[in-house]
Amino acid sequence: MTQPTGTSRKTRAANRLFGRNSRQGNWWAALLIIVMTTILLIATTDDFATPRNASNLLAQAMPLIIVAIGQMIVIVLAGMDLSVGSVMSLTTAILALDGAPIVLIPLVFLAAAAIGLVNGIAIVRLNVHPIIATLSMQFIVLGIAQLLRPVAGGSVPDVVVNVVTGAFLGIPAPVFWAVAVVAIGWKIVHGSRFGLHLFAIGGGVASGQSDTAHNFGLKDRRNIVLAYILSALFAALAGFFIAGRIASGDPGVGSQFALDSITAVAIGGTQLSGGVGGLHGTILGAILMALLANGMNLANLSAFLQGAIKGVILLLVVALQSRKKMGL
Amino acid sequence: MTTQRMAAAALFAALLGSTALAQDVNLMAGVEPRPEGNSVVAAGAFKTEAPWTIAMSHFGVNANTWTVQTAHEAQGIANADARIENFIMLDANFDQAKQVADIEDLIAQNPDVLIVMPVTPTSADAGIQKAIDAGIPVVVHTGRTENQNFTVDIQGGAENFGRVMGDFLVDQLGGEGKIWVLRGLPSHPEDINRYNGLVQSLEGTSIEITQEDYGSWVYDLGKSLCETFYLNDPDVDGIWSSGADMTRACVDVLAEFGADIPPITGEGNNGFFGQWLEMGYPSIVAEYSPSQAAAGVRAAVALLEGEALHKHYIYEPEGWDAAKAAEYYRDDLSANVWWPTELPEETLQSLYGN
Repeated sequence: MTQPTGTSRKTRAANRLFGRNSRQGNWWAALLIIVMTTILLIATTDDFATPRNASNLLAQAMPLIIVAIGQMIVIVLAGMDLSVGSVMSLTTAILALDGAPIVLIPLVFLAAAAIGLVNGIAIVRLNVHPIIATLSMQFIVLGIAQLLRPVAGGSVPDVVVNVVTGAFLGIPAPVFWAVAVVAIGWKIVHGSRFGLHLFAIGGGVASGQSDTAHNFGLKDRRNIVLAYILSALFAALAGFFIAGRIASGDPGVGSQFALDSITAVAIGGTQLSGGVGGLHGTILGAILMALLANGMNLANLSAFLQGAIKGVILLLVVALQSRKKMGL
Repeated sequence: MTTQRMAAAALFAALLGSTALAQDVNLMAGVEPRPEGNSVVAAGAFKTEAPWTIAMSHFGVNANTWTVQTAHEAQGIANADARIENFIMLDANFDQAKQVADIEDLIAQNPDVLIVMPVTPTSADAGIQKAIDAGIPVVVHTGRTENQNFTVDIQGGAENFGRVMGDFLVDQLGGEGKIWVLRGLPSHPEDINRYNGLVQSLEGTSIEITQEDYGSWVYDLGKSLCETFYLNDPDVDGIWSSGADMTRACVDVLAEFGADIPPITGEGNNGFFGQWLEMGYPSIVAEYSPSQAAAGVRAAVALLEGEALHKHYIYEPEGWDAAKAAEYYRDDLSANVWWPTELPEETLQSLYGN
């Protein structure tokens, strides 16, 4: 990435320091707020820096981390997936059906793949805007989830609960989930040709030349469809994790996750205009959101105030990320 | 008398004594021990020296004016008791996953009692179990849980609520006619159970539900629904509304269209009372006091004081007529107050004074 001519050495140094030209986005602001919040919570609360709370925090952050990775994949393409929350709800509803785990678990991921496929086809073949396509899908999937399970309840297979809330060699299961999910996400986004193509396609859209990648011979349509399938699959995985946490099905459990995942991606430095972003920023964004919720709970902040404080901190993080756009 | 008989007699006397004591604890007017399938939490089982930390997971503080008031009612009772050093209330914002996380965070702070207002029948199950396993007593109210291992629960009978309203309509309509149904939130257990109460009332009658939809218990959506219903088919003999804000909205719509107000069900809300008493249409109040949240704190305090409590309490009051509503109505307070309330006068004026 080149610096504009005439830029002073100091400006160039500052741009490098703050990652203003980085393809990975400005993730340092999220990291800075995480460090500051952690120090503040350790200093002011008795219960934050305990093994039990660390385990709680990881388990609380995990669904958002998972769904945000999928969301980031489509946002890097200059897309957006508003159906992820409904996919999560549908996943819990399917898992709470009467049936053998060997049937229900594959069914969850097949359903998610089908949803992602329809999203992708609507976007690349029918030229429906990603927001409209996935918003429509959100309502369709929510309706199916409510048909399967009109009221929260039932029970999911024991194996689902055990792999989410259990422990292996004394290590809580969410630790293994974190390692596995980060490894898979890293391979897809930063360790594969597909990942490289995502940035190329999104970068073209961000610079106003959406057909650039196509003209260079990239199979942009196929990659976009694949990205939406991956987004839905990550959402299903997040729904699987939630189902293990609540041990039941709930048609409304994913309702907050569409916007929360977009927020996590944005505060992790990924540009909503496409072409710029990174897995580490997204994970930091999701951790920051979970940390704020956990920290405010432990700091005994008023339930009336927590939403407002969370909004102010998130605005602060995004404001710290003044970043030059691709190509500038 | 043998030693065994003496021991049995002493045990029997102790049980009788604890039952009597349990009955003496007054949690809230209208809250009674459940007559069937009940048990007693023994006196002293959770007795703890003050100061106390009481933790509360609220299902959603800011959903509507009623839920806001429940938070004030609980906080008010806690603030008034100097022995409660720390009252921690977390807002799940009607998010089941957040309630799971909230309860984890509350247990991490080692409270003396955990109070839970569940978002759904399952949202608090794992948390309740963790608390009980950690030796923390759990009080559940204003929503049922599938996990029955809690220490005490206080349940406002949603089916009773819907039935009080349904019986009123059956009576007013003479068992036949067309009614509209304004429901609350889709999939919400309270909505489903209230509706079940209505269905029970309508069994064996010739009353037909001609139009039905969800208004989320709020004024704006209730108004849109009734506008749609009226424009679709204005022929209606009665209206079953699951909440007072939707009732007010529907009455406003019918008044705007110049239509007669048919029998319509209401709730203990100051705004509804003002409208009802002024316009005089046929209605009834199904009582559902936000002070249930205060009763939850009172149950927590009773456990820490070492009082004996019943495991299950129910809250199934009868309907109110206009004369009773007139006793409660306050024109110096806003439409957002819900009756009956235990909020002190200065708090009422501070929060709701006109």
